[in-house]
Amino acid sequence: MNILASLQPQLCDKFETQAFDLKRDDLAQVIVEKKIWRAVMDYLKEEAGFVTLLTITCTDWIEEERFELNYIFAHETKRCDLMLSFSIARDGESVQTLTDRWPQAEVMERDLHEMFGIVFEGHPNLASFALENWHHTPPLRREFDTLAFVNEHFEFRKGREENVDVKAEAKRLRALKKAKAQAEAEAKKEKGADDADE
Amino acid sequence: MKEGFLIEQERLEHEAAASLKSSGLINDIIRYFRKKSIFVLAYGTGCGAIEMPPTFTSRYDAERFGIRGAATPRQADVIVVSGYLSFKTLRRIIHTYEQMASPKYVIALGSCTINGGMYWDSYNTIKQLDKYIPVDMYANGCMPRPEALLEAFIALQKKIENDEEPSGWERYLENIEWYRQNQRAVLGEDIKPAYEADWYTEGR
Repeated sequence: MNILASLQPQLCDKFETQAFDLKRDDLAQVIVEKKIWRAVMDYLKEEAGFVTLLTITCTDWIEEERFELNYIFAHETKRCDLMLSFSIARDGESVQTLTDRWPQAEVMERDLHEMFGIVFEGHPNLASFALENWHHTPPLRREFDTLAFVNEHFEFRKGREENVDVKAEAKRLRALKKAKAQAEAEAKKEKGADDADE
Repeated sequence: MKEGFLIEQERLEHEAAASLKSSGLINDIIRYFRKKSIFVLAYGTGCGAIEMPPTFTSRYDAERFGIRGAATPRQADVIVVSGYLSFKTLRRIIHTYEQMASPKYVIALGSCTINGGMYWDSYNTIKQLDKYIPVDMYANGCMPRPEALLEAFIALQKKIENDEEPSGWERYLENIEWYRQNQRAVLGEDIKPAYEADWYTEGR
């Protein structure tokens, strides 16, 4: 039997899961409340065999005023992944760090801190990662207007003076070529007729 | 019957030779050797860095024109900015460029360095490279082939040969305050290292 399908009743008996969504044979999503996510994660690691943390992602549900954090785990022997999701408030709510369980979570959490502004409690170093000296809104939050930021901070090079609409120009050139070919053909025809007369 | 690359080389070298303007024997000799020993810093910034290995290895063999790699900025004459530049990389590029000994040249490869290219609406990449460091030669395209990079090098050699004033590093020294201002606008105040070199504090 599929390991994820067999995991579903165990997990739902043990914890109050909000949803268990079996997306594929080898992929499932568990949605829990924030207060029990550490317990569920420990169970997944110690009992259920999901020993590898693949990545941490964040979904910005701006209409519902929440971030959804997704922790994706891989099973130690079987080919299947499990996604553990829970929601936090968009502003002012922090999350416990996962670096005590998986050291590789350090860069992932730093990245999330930089791109979404989520604070991870107990993280050893939340310094800037890919962006340096960034004092604006974290750029992957949906209220950050990329185009407005670009227009404010950069000026664009002016286009060439002979800048023309490429399609219209191609059409014009095709028409010119056609007219020229036609004129040539007519001239040849007339010439042929003259030759025949002589 | 000549091989294709020999014909190409003949054409490129002929073009370079035809444009020669003499300005004294010593100057000519200096410029000749400067032209024929271009050391390129082994540093790639964006996706265009992948075009540089074929340019310098056996397939396109840039060394037949005297163009080869250099390991450190102190030994290099040319830096190829190959593709988009994020703020973080721009800081390193400025740092590297100022470590290079003059005469030094910049080749900007790809459309990202000209107007942002496909990253025109990105919050994290600069749009015009020549606002931050002086550019001597552009090779446009996305991505330019190694042939285009080679032609940019040949054009740069012609420029060195003709000694067209002012070249990029001279413009950089003259307009250092303007460049600094643009750099500060995107990188913030702490551009390292803090400059105390005489060329910066006293001018040329």
